Order: sequence, then structure tokens, then C-alpha cells
Amino acid sequence: MSAALRVAGLDVRLGELHIIRNLDLEVPFGELHVMMGPNGSGKSTLCHALMGRPGYLVSGVAEVGGVDVLGLEVDRRAAAGLFEVFQYPVEIPGVTLRDLIAEMAEAGGEAIGHRAVEVAARLDTSSFWDRPVNVGLSGGEKKRSEMTQLLALAPRMAILDELDSGLDVDAVREVAEAVQHMRGPDLGVLVITHYTRVLRYLEVDRVHVMLDGRIVQSGDRSLADRLDTEGYDGLRTSLGMSHPEGDSFLTGL
Amino acid sequence: MLPIDQTTHERVTAALSGRAAERARAGWVAFRELEMPSERLEQWRYVHPGIDLGAFGLPDRAGRPHPAVLGGPWSASAVNVDGRTVAAQDGDGVEVAALATQSDQGPTVAIADRFEAMHEAFSSDGVLVTVPRGAAVADPVLIDLQAVTPDSASAPRIRIVAAASSQVAVVVHERSPDGMPALVVPRFEIEVDNGARVHLIVIQQWGDETAAVARHHYVAGRDATVGLAEAGLGGRFSRLHLSVDLIGDGSSADIVGAYFGDHSQTLDYRYFLRHAARGTTSEMFLKGAVAGQSRSVFSGLIRIEREGQKTSAHQTNRNLVLSDGADAHSVPNLEILADDVRCGHGSAVGPLDEEQRYYLMSRGLDRMRADRLQVKGFFEEALVRFPVLRFEPVLRAALMAKYAGVTA
Repeated sequence: MSAALRVAGLDVRLGELHIIRNLDLEVPFGELHVMMGPNGSGKSTLCHALMGRPGYLVSGVAEVGGVDVLGLEVDRRAAAGLFEVFQYPVEIPGVTLRDLIAEMAEAGGEAIGHRAVEVAARLDTSSFWDRPVNVGLSGGEKKRSEMTQLLALAPRMAILDELDSGLDVDAVREVAEAVQHMRGPDLGVLVITHYTRVLRYLEVDRVHVMLDGRIVQSGDRSLADRLDTEGYDGLRTSLGMSHPEGDSFLTGL
Repeated sequence: MLPIDQTTHERVTAALSGRAAERARAGWVAFRELEMPSERLEQWRYVHPGIDLGAFGLPDRAGRPHPAVLGGPWSASAVNVDGRTVAAQDGDGVEVAALATQSDQGPTVAIADRFEAMHEAFSSDGVLVTVPRGAAVADPVLIDLQAVTPDSASAPRIRIVAAASSQVAVVVHERSPDGMPALVVPRFEIEVDNGARVHLIVIQQWGDETAAVARHHYVAGRDATVGLAEAGLGGRFSRLHLSVDLIGDGSSADIVGAYFGDHSQTLDYRYFLRHAARGTTSEMFLKGAVAGQSRSVFSGLIRIEREGQKTSAHQTNRNLVLSDGADAHSVPNLEILADDVRCGHGSAVGPLDEEQRYYLMSRGLDRMRADRLQVKGFFEEALVRFPVLRFEPVLRAALMAKYAGVTA
């Protein structure tokens, strides 16, 4: 059986920058994986390269439920079952969440609209349902809006970029519980995060650590705990990796 | 058809007397002396109207009006065809009359260019809307402004006079058949007395071979509000030159616009707001799109006189350029002579936003749907500011129909 997400030999460049190098990753259906890494390690680039944001030069393989999505238009990747919760959801002035859901239902089928209505009741979207998408929303509202769209589309593979950024403790728990709630045998989940705090509320199947555009270590939950005590620098040292130039410069000061 | 010359001027204005006759004569003198405006004049930069007056004449009589298409209810109404008012109906305390039958034809005006002169010299009729003191007119007044005769020139004048503490909304529906050359040179005059509120809504749907050169001039007294909301949809060349004088303390102007050019249309907006009294406010908010080989111009000037202390004025003009052959010019300006004011302006010209497109496509919308939704949202911000909400769906549909035509 195919995996929710299978990435093999993925290479991503942006202009002169070689951001992701020969990355392999597999998230089976039913599992929740966590991708951790410091700023600049390439986590968000991985999300956008998989979703198909224009501007990146991407090679390798990326399959969602067995469908190779590289080379497809962004909407076809969504149709294949890939969903990205944006770290910074884009503001769409003049278009309410209601309008967007209606358009999504028109494009992808009535079931999307029905699911959205169910989800909206559960996630308390009343404060922004009739407001322009992401315009003037709090961090928590933006995540709830993203989760509403995710659950409405019922994807096969959900990637949540910096799930906990911009959220207070209560909102982190709330959104993590929503993620936990949506888990099922037909869905793979990849949570991307900088910190371990969100993991408190999630049942994690596997943790991957990304440094310099590569997955340098994968393991179970204890890997996250180790990162909590050692930090990314500690992991670098124990893996015998060189420290980025910026850091050694700072150390030398 | 009567040629645009002295004989015709004398003939069409023969019935005028007093100040109205003076106005027409002054117009003829200016018309004879002025040259056709060219791009060398700041007021006409960026546009080439391509209007040959020799190709048009004044019709002997008004043609047959097309039936009204905008749904009511209306408190009162008038129909003006080829410059002549063929029907006028009072109601709900507001008087609506053919201007030719009225003594109040407005004060003499300062003439700035040859089209303004042409209006003065050849206007013999129009619509006078009079709102008595304290009257709050519930439903809007409809003025159906039509050009129906091929190769016709017409110069209708719309005057709205609102007495103190009155309130009215007037909808002007401008239209002519596609494929029919016509020239329309209308003038809109609004006088808003102390504490009164007048909102003019113009739905500009001139046909694709009509050239329209419209002049609007509004004056607002103490604590009065005057508003213009224009939807610019039609016309081969359509110009709206607006000047607003806020001369009463605490008066305000509320200007909004949504326009969409396609094919080889030119939509030309020249908006001047003069704050000449204390504590006045103005808000200008226009959004436009250009596609095909079309062109739009927004030139906005807020001038705050020395007397305009405690003034607050804002102007925003944003433009979407939807094709390589289209262009939009946006020129906001401020002239501030007072020192205790709050002013702001924003202006933008650019293509559809890539980030919005990516985000919307990531939600399963194909590029066409994503872009259409973005365009709809773009105009939504202007449409929600239109004062008579029931036109919102009509205008949204008209704008999106133009967008659909562009992408077909």
C-alpha cells in the first residue's frame, strides 16, 4: 500500500540557494510525524516545494497517496489530497471564509461545504466566518480558519507548518487537540515545529530532525526530548556536523 | 440632426431667459475660443479622447427611451433621452422636474475646457431634483439618462438642490446601445445646504461607441454631506471630472468608485476635493481594473485651504492591471495650506497577487477560479461602501461579467 507521503531524493533550489538536499521521508497513512529544526533549516521550504509554490526549482519524487505531485499545478496537488496549513496564512481582502468555502465546494464537490459547516460549529468559527480570509484575525483565529479549510477538504496528507507559531498556550493546546481529533487511518500528518511544546498534546509516531536541508536523524518521541535538553547545537556536535559559519563567528566574539 | 455650430446654439437656447440665457451665451463664447483639449494640458494628461465634433449633431427631438432596467422602489424619477427630459415624476416630498421648465438652472460657472463650454452652449434641458427643508426621502430617486440616437451629441444637466437638514439618494443610470456612436457631455450640480445629506450613485453603462465627458461640481454647507459612488463600466471614452467644495464647517465628502475597463476603453477620473472650512472630512476610495488594451486614469487632488483646520482627508486608489496591453495611471496629490490636519493617501497599480493565487490554489481552486475570487474580493472593498446596498449584487454581477469576458 502506498504511503500518505513519500518523498525520495528531493532537491530544492531557490535561485543560487541550494536549500534542500537529497531528502527522503515517508509518512504512512494513519501516522503523525513531526519535523523539527532550527530557523533556516529548510522546513518551510519543504512545505512550499511540496505544495508547489512558484519560484522553486524542485527535483526528485514526492508522492501523495501514490500520486506523484511534482510537476502538477498547485490545485492538482490539493486534489491529490495534499493540504498545507500555512505558517503565515495569506490575507484575501474582500473574500470571506464563507465565500472561500463556497468556492471550494463548487470546485471540489458539495461534501466540502457540508463538512465545513460541521467543522465550523465544532471549532467556533463564528467570529471570522463572515470576515475576509485571514484579514485582521488573531493567531488563534487564523489557525482555526486553516483547520476549518483542512477538515472541509478532507485531505490524505496534511502538512502543518509551524503549527504553534504566534499562539498562546491555550491556543496551542486547542489547535493540537484539533489535530489529534482529525487523525484517522486515511490521513497522514506532518507537523512542522521549532519547539517541543506542541508535542505535549500530540501522539507522535516519529520525529525527524532537519538541519541544513537534510534530515539528519529520525526516531521516536524520545528524540524530541533529547533535543529539549541538548538543543540543535548539541545534536550537531554529537553527529559530528560542523556548526554554521554564523555561529562560529559569534562564538569567536 | 443639427450641426454643432452657432445657429444650433442659438436655436436650442432660444427659450432660455435671465441667468440661464447668460450662461448659455458665455458658454458659446468660450466654446468658440477654446481649442479641443490635448494631452499637453495637465488636466488631460494620459488620455486621447479622439472626439471629432464634426461627426456629431444635436437631434431634433428625443429618440424613444429604452425601458428601465434597474429595479425600484423609487421615491421619484425622471427619464432623459438625448439630452431632453421626457418624463418626470415627483414623490415622497421630493420634486423632480424637467430643467427646461424651471427657473433655477444654476449659477454661472467657471469654464475650464471646451467640453464644459460645449455643455453650457448646447444644454437646453435636464433634470432638477429639489428636496425641501427637513425632508428625509426614504427610497432613492432614479434618473434614467439615455442616448439612443446614432451620432447624437447631447448635454443634459442634472441639478440636485437639497435644503437644510434634508436627505436624499439619487441614482443616475447612464446608458446607450453598444455599436452606436454618441457623444454625451453632461453636467451634474449638487448643492447641499446646512445639515443636509445627498448621495449620488452613478451607474455608468454607456455603450461601447459612446464618448462621455462628464463634469460634476458639488458644494456642501455647514455639517452637510455629499457623496458620489460611481460604477464605471461602459463607454469608449468616459471621463468624470469632479470638483467638490466643502465650504461649510463640519461638512464632508464621501467618494467611492469601482471601474473596469476592457477592449480599448478609456476611463478617466479627475477628482478634486477642496476643504475650505473648519473640521471638514473627506474620504475617497476607488478601485479599478484594466484589461485588454484599456486604460484608466485616476488623478486625485485634496486641497486644504488655510481655513481648513481640523480637516481629515484620505484618498485611496488601487488598480489591477490584468493584461500586458492595459495600463492604469494613478496620481494622488495633496496640497495643504493649513497646519492642523490629518491627511493620507495610498495608490497602487499592479497585477493580481501571486501569494493570494498560490494560497487559493492550495485550497483546490484552479487558477481561473482563484483569480476570479481575488478579483471579486478586490472590488468587494469598494462595493460595500456604495450607499444604496440593494445595487451591490447588480454591480458585482456587472463587474464580474466584464471579468468573465476578459478571461473567456
